[in-house]
Amino acid sequence: MLQQLTNLSDKELISRARKLKDQEAEGVLLERYSHLLVAISMPHLNTGPGTTPEEMYTSILQRLSNSLKTQTIPKANEWLHYTVKAQNDKADRNIPFFPSSESRNVQQVENKVEKASNNLLEQQQLANQIQQVFKQLEQEEKFFLQQFYIEQKTFAELAAAKKYTLEQVRLKLQGAKQKMASLMMTQTDGK
Amino acid sequence: MANNLVNNDKILKVFSNIRCLNRDQLPRYLDGRLTDVEKHLVEQHLVDCNLCNEALHVLQQPQYREKYQSLSVSIQQYIRNSIKQVSHVQKAERYQRNEQKKESLLIYFWVVAAIALAAGGIYLVQQEKRFKIQSPKPLASAADVKAIQASSTEPIGAAKQDTVTAVPVPVPTPPVVVKENAVKPVVKKDSLKVKDTLKVKVAPVIKPVVKTDSVAKKASPAVKPPEDKKSDSDAKKVAVPKDSPPVKKDPPPVKKEEPKVAAKDTDDKKTVTKVTAPVETNNTDEFLYKAAMVYHQQGDLNEAISRYKHLSTSSSRYGELARYQLAVCYRSKGQTGKARRMFKEVVGMNGSMKDKAQAALDNL
Repeated sequence: MLQQLTNLSDKELISRARKLKDQEAEGVLLERYSHLLVAISMPHLNTGPGTTPEEMYTSILQRLSNSLKTQTIPKANEWLHYTVKAQNDKADRNIPFFPSSESRNVQQVENKVEKASNNLLEQQQLANQIQQVFKQLEQEEKFFLQQFYIEQKTFAELAAAKKYTLEQVRLKLQGAKQKMASLMMTQTDGK
Repeated sequence: MANNLVNNDKILKVFSNIRCLNRDQLPRYLDGRLTDVEKHLVEQHLVDCNLCNEALHVLQQPQYREKYQSLSVSIQQYIRNSIKQVSHVQKAERYQRNEQKKESLLIYFWVVAAIALAAGGIYLVQQEKRFKIQSPKPLASAADVKAIQASSTEPIGAAKQDTVTAVPVPVPTPPVVVKENAVKPVVKKDSLKVKDTLKVKVAPVIKPVVKTDSVAKKASPAVKPPEDKKSDSDAKKVAVPKDSPPVKKDPPPVKKEEPKVAAKDTDDKKTVTKVTAPVETNNTDEFLYKAAMVYHQQGDLNEAISRYKHLSTSSSRYGELARYQLAVCYRSKGQTGKARRMFKEVVGMNGSMKDKAQAALDNL
């Protein structure tokens, strides 16, 4: 059963955990991200009362489990990041996770691309739309996107070329991608 | 054109969905041990994923890198253990649920079966009742007669009322003295030959008998022929009219009883208790005779014959009547030999039916 669940996508696991109250699916999902969870929580370990690894990870897992049952989760990595950060920052107000509009736009375009992967005509139409939107971007944004996605340059190469840090390059690319997605969604009315 | 297609594929990569770094890729990326393609895919994912990006930043610091492996393994183990426990619990719960479902289904089945049985039982009882109501009540069968004898006089009266339409029934009515006067002339006209044999002294029973008989006479014209002595010749043609003469002849003997009863009531009231037993036997014979008559009238000659036979052994007046009717039945069935013998017996008895039996014998 566990073996079968590990092959499921995040979306399917979340669905099983919520609708069928399948705790095995919930466990598989948390295990899938447990190493990242550990990594981002490490700076907060042993920084005060209740921050021993046993206490901290148990409480994080419990919070994630509770959150999973109540919240809408379009992207598991964003939800995990938000929840763990809220726990580590000791935010008393349990503000529910809600994805940003940029993130939702990107996700919608990603879904479109995934859906068109089996249809050449749709792929062609989507590529044309993306190119149209691409032309509307600023020169720097065009440069980063073209160099990174088409020329397949690395962060380090781009950072060296523009004398940016790696994080700046990542953020530039992220910004350009989100802008393209929002333009696509507004210009095509989501079609 | 081909170049354009390649560019299209590459530009679609901007929005390709890539999974987060797994626990194997994370340290390898940090160590620079990924292939160019792999590295590019990871970086494509890192553009969007703040979680993986932050994890990489943290793990780039050596103090966290040392603890990372052990913590990562322990939390993974912790989650797996909790899943196992949960799965065992879930399995047990599922098993329990299944068992409960089976039990509840069985319970439902038995409840439904019980309801169906109960409904079936009720339906059968109702059908039986309906059948009883619809089917004609057998008049004065042997068992019924016994039951009537055993019961009190009131139920007998009620049973008689049921049969009023078919057979004249005595109904107890209080005004005895007034009607005696009205009946007396009728009684005087009839011969009082049978007076000694019948010793009925209960006044209320007698009067209604006279009345109902008279009603029966008026109602059925078929009753008249037996009064005429020619009726025997007519009886050959039609079976039912033949049976009716005895019905007429019932009243005369009963009427004969009335004066006696009236006289005896005035003379001596002590004799009433002594006479109750003969009255009962007489009533029984009367019932049996009337029941046989009903079968005879309905055309069930075999049943009528069996009842007449049963009654023919009686020493009362109904014995003679039963033999006469038996002869009529045999004649109707075409058994002239038997009919002749029975008529002869009736003639030999030298009773009230002697003349009619003789006439019938002559006609045979």
